[in-house]
Amino acid sequence: MPTTTLPPDAAIYQSKDYKSELKPIWCPGCGDFGVVQAIYRALAAVGRPPHEIAFVSGIGCSSRIPGYTTAYGFNTVHGRALPIAQGIKLANPDLLVLAAGGDGDGFSIGGGHVAHAIRRNIDLTYIIMDNQIYGLTKGQLSPTSPRGLRTASSTYGSMEDPVNPLLYVLGYGCRFVAQGTPADMAQLGALIEEGIRFPGFAFINVQSPCVTYGEPDTQLKALKQKMTSLQSVGHDPSDRIKAMDLAQHYGKQIYTGVLFRDPEPPPTFGAYVAERHAAMGPSPARDRILDVFKPAE
Amino acid sequence: MYLEMNTDLVIGMAGSGGDGVVSAGDSLMTALALAGYHAMLTKSFGPQIRGGESSFRLRVSTRPVLGPGGALDVAVALNWDDFLKFGAELALDGHSVVIYDSNTRVAPDQIPVAGVRPAEVVAVGIEAMAKETAGSEKAKNTVVLGLMAGWFGLAPQHIRAGLRKRFAKKGEDIMARNERAFEAGLAWAQANPLRTSRALAPVAAGTGAKMVADGNDLCAAASIFAGCQFFGGYPITPSSEVMQFLNREIWKFGGTMLQCEDEIAGIGACVGASFAGKKALTATSGPGMSLKTEMIGLATISELPLVIVNVQRGGPSTGIPTKSEQSDLFQAIFSAHGDAPRPVLAPMNVADTFPVTVEAFNIAERYQTPVIILSEQEIAQRKEAIDRPVTEGVHVEERRAPTEHELEHYVRYRITESGISPISHPGMKGGNYLASGIEHTESGAPTASGSIHAKMNEKRLRKLMPLKGRKDLFVTAGSDSAPLALIAWGSMSGLALEALELAGQAGLQLKILVPRLLFPVAEEVYGDFFGSVKRGLVVEQSHQGQLYRVIRMYVDVPVGLESFSRSGSNPISPAEIVERLRAQARAILEEREPVNQSE
Repeated sequence: MPTTTLPPDAAIYQSKDYKSELKPIWCPGCGDFGVVQAIYRALAAVGRPPHEIAFVSGIGCSSRIPGYTTAYGFNTVHGRALPIAQGIKLANPDLLVLAAGGDGDGFSIGGGHVAHAIRRNIDLTYIIMDNQIYGLTKGQLSPTSPRGLRTASSTYGSMEDPVNPLLYVLGYGCRFVAQGTPADMAQLGALIEEGIRFPGFAFINVQSPCVTYGEPDTQLKALKQKMTSLQSVGHDPSDRIKAMDLAQHYGKQIYTGVLFRDPEPPPTFGAYVAERHAAMGPSPARDRILDVFKPAE
Repeated sequence: MYLEMNTDLVIGMAGSGGDGVVSAGDSLMTALALAGYHAMLTKSFGPQIRGGESSFRLRVSTRPVLGPGGALDVAVALNWDDFLKFGAELALDGHSVVIYDSNTRVAPDQIPVAGVRPAEVVAVGIEAMAKETAGSEKAKNTVVLGLMAGWFGLAPQHIRAGLRKRFAKKGEDIMARNERAFEAGLAWAQANPLRTSRALAPVAAGTGAKMVADGNDLCAAASIFAGCQFFGGYPITPSSEVMQFLNREIWKFGGTMLQCEDEIAGIGACVGASFAGKKALTATSGPGMSLKTEMIGLATISELPLVIVNVQRGGPSTGIPTKSEQSDLFQAIFSAHGDAPRPVLAPMNVADTFPVTVEAFNIAERYQTPVIILSEQEIAQRKEAIDRPVTEGVHVEERRAPTEHELEHYVRYRITESGISPISHPGMKGGNYLASGIEHTESGAPTASGSIHAKMNEKRLRKLMPLKGRKDLFVTAGSDSAPLALIAWGSMSGLALEALELAGQAGLQLKILVPRLLFPVAEEVYGDFFGSVKRGLVVEQSHQGQLYRVIRMYVDVPVGLESFSRSGSNPISPAEIVERLRAQARAILEEREPVNQSE
C-alpha cells in the first residue's frame, strides 16, 4: 500500500545529489537553510532519484525552496501549493510529491486548502516553514504572529490570536503531524523522512526563524533553549488526544518530534483511485465515448 | 381541409412542476432522434429549486436546426398561469396552433394571450382523458404525446417504444395505464383533425438515427476523445454537467476527476496534472472564471497546456445563473494581470462543441498555453439531435517532448524560432526543471532582469501567432462580393445563418463570418472578409458588444460596421437582424447617390 518504497539502490544517493546550483536568496542565518539541508538528507535517505520527485511551493521567502533542489520544482502562486501538488500526485501516483511554504502561504491565504488536503488524504508531505512573520514583503503580521506583536502592519501591536498550526491539522484529522526546528538538524531530517514514508498526507511544522524581521525569542539560540523533544517526555505518538493536548502549548512551548502518527493509516485517495481503475478494466477506444449519446430504443 | 407537410416545426409546452412537461420533451426528442430527424430542445424552469413552472421548446426539422426558432407553430398549455410565465420564450403568432387543457375553463376565443389571434385554438380534456385511461392526472403528459403523434405524425412507433422502456421499471400496471393514455390522445387527435394539417414531412429514406447530446456532455466527451486524463473542478451553474459527465466516464478511460474545495483548487489541480504531463480540463462559469484568473496567468507564464471551459451565464457577479449571455469575452481574452492573453475558442452549437473542444486541447498542447472555450448556457444545456461527430482521421495533438539529445542539456524555456520549447514532466530523467510563476531565464531560474522578461513575453506571445492564419476556425457563408456583412459568434451564429436565408428571400446581398477562434484576432481573415463590405452588423448577446470592440481593437473595420447587441435573456430574432440589415442596405444606396453627384 505505501507508494513510497525504498529502492534497493537507495544508498547510491547522497544529500548533494538533491542540491541544485541555484544560490538561495535567503538572508544569512535564515532557518530555511537548515530546512533545505534537512530535505536533502531525507530525500537521500529515502533514495528516490530527483527526476521522480515533484516539489511544489507557493509564494514567500521559504517558497523559493523547490528551486534549490534538483527535483522537478514548481514555484506556484501564493497559497496554492496544495491543490497543485494534489493534481500532480493524482496525475502520476508514482511520483514522490512534496509541498512546502511559509505560515502565511499555508494558514492565511491558502488556509482553506489545508483542511481538504487532510480529509482527501492524498499521499504527499507538506512542510511549513513557520517564522511568525511575513519576510518577503518586509515584516508584516503573519497568521502565526503572537497577540501584541508589533510589526510593519501592526504598529501598536497585533489584536488577534495566532493560528495554531498543530491543533489546526490535528483538528481536521491529519494522520501524521510532526514539528521540528533547524536547531536539531538530525531530528528534522528524520522527521521529514518519516513524513515522506508515511502512506498518506503528512504535515511537518518547522519553527524556522526569520533573522531579519523575527523576534529575538524565535531565533535559533532561543529555540535551542525552549524546545523539548517529545521523545524525552515519553509521548506516545499513536495517542491523538494526548497529541492535541500537547499541541495546545504551541507558541509557548516548542515540542519537537512526531506528535501524532496514525498507527493504522487508512487507504489513501490514490489507493481508491487505483482500485476504481482496476474495477473499470482496460480502457476502450476513445471514440467509444460517443456511444453514450445513442438514444435508447 | 388544406394539406401541408412541414419540414420544420416549433413546439412549445408549459405546465407546473408535477406535470411531467420536461419528460414529455425528452420523450419527443428521443423518438424524433430515433426516427432520424434533426431537433433542438430547450428546457426552461422557474427559479425554484424544486417544483414551480417548467417548459420546453422543441424545434424539429428534416434539415440541421440552426436556432430555437421564433413564434411557436404548436403551443401546449396545461394551465395558463404557468404558460404565460414564459412570456417571449413561448411566443405565439397568427400562425400558431394552440392546444390547452379544457379543465382551465377558458373558452377558445378567450385564451389569455394579448395581441395575438392564433390560427387555431383547440381545447382538449387532457386531464380528464388521463384520469379516465390511466386513473391518474400524472398521465397528462402521456396524453399530450398521443395528441402530438396523432396531429403532427411525430414518430408514434418510437414514442410507444420509449414509453414502454420508461415505464417498464415501474411495473406492468403503470405501463399499461400509460399506453392507454397515449393511444387515447392519439385517437382523439385522429378523430378531431386540425383545420390545417401540420404533419411533419418524413425524413429521407435510409436516414439513420441521430444521437442526442447537450453542449456540456458533448464537451466532456470531446475532452475524453482528445485524451484528457484529468478533470478538476467545482460545481457551478450552468457548467456542472461537464464535471458530472466526466465523474461517470473518465475513469473508464484511465483518467481521474477531482471535485475540489473551491474554484481555485479546481484549476490548481489541473495545473498540477498538466505539469505532471497529463492533459487536463476544468469547467466553470463566470464567477468561477473570476476566481481562476490567477491560475490562468500561472499556466501562461509556466507554459503549461490547459483547457478551461467557461459556460457563460448572465453577469456580472452572480448575475442570472440560469440564463445565457456572451459577456465574458473581454474576461476570457484579457483577464489575469501582465501580458497574458491566451487563445479563446467558441462553439457555434451543440454539435460544434465536439470539434472545438478537441481543437482547444490540440492548441493547448501544441503551444503550451491555457486555452479558453467560451460555451454558453444556451448551447451547454440545450439538447440537440445531431449526426455523430466525425472522429475518424481527426488529429489529436501531443505535447512536444524533448529528444534524448535535448535532455542531455535540457533547457525548459529555450527560446526557439517558433517560441515553442520542448516540455518535459516529472518522471522524465534529465528533464528536471523549475517551473514558476516568477519570471525566469531559459533554464527556469528566477530572474528580475528586464531584458529577459521582455524576451520571454515576446516568446510567449509569438508562439501563438500562427493561430492567426487558422482560416479553418472561421465559418463563412453568403456571396463573396456582398456589401452587407454579418458577424456572429457562439449561439448567435445559428440565428445569423437563419437571417442569411431570410435576407436572400428579401433580396439582400449578404455574407456571414462566424469566428470560432476569437483570440488571437485573425486580422487577415477579417481584412479579407471586409474587402467588399460597406455596412454590417456584429450580433452578440452582451450589453457592450464585446466582440465588436475586440475586432475594432485589432482590425480596420468598414465605418458602416455596427454593433447589434443585447443583454442576455433578451432574445434576438433572425427577422430583427434582417430588419436592421434592410436599413443598412438602404443607407448604402443613399450613400451612393451623393458620391455619384460629386463625380
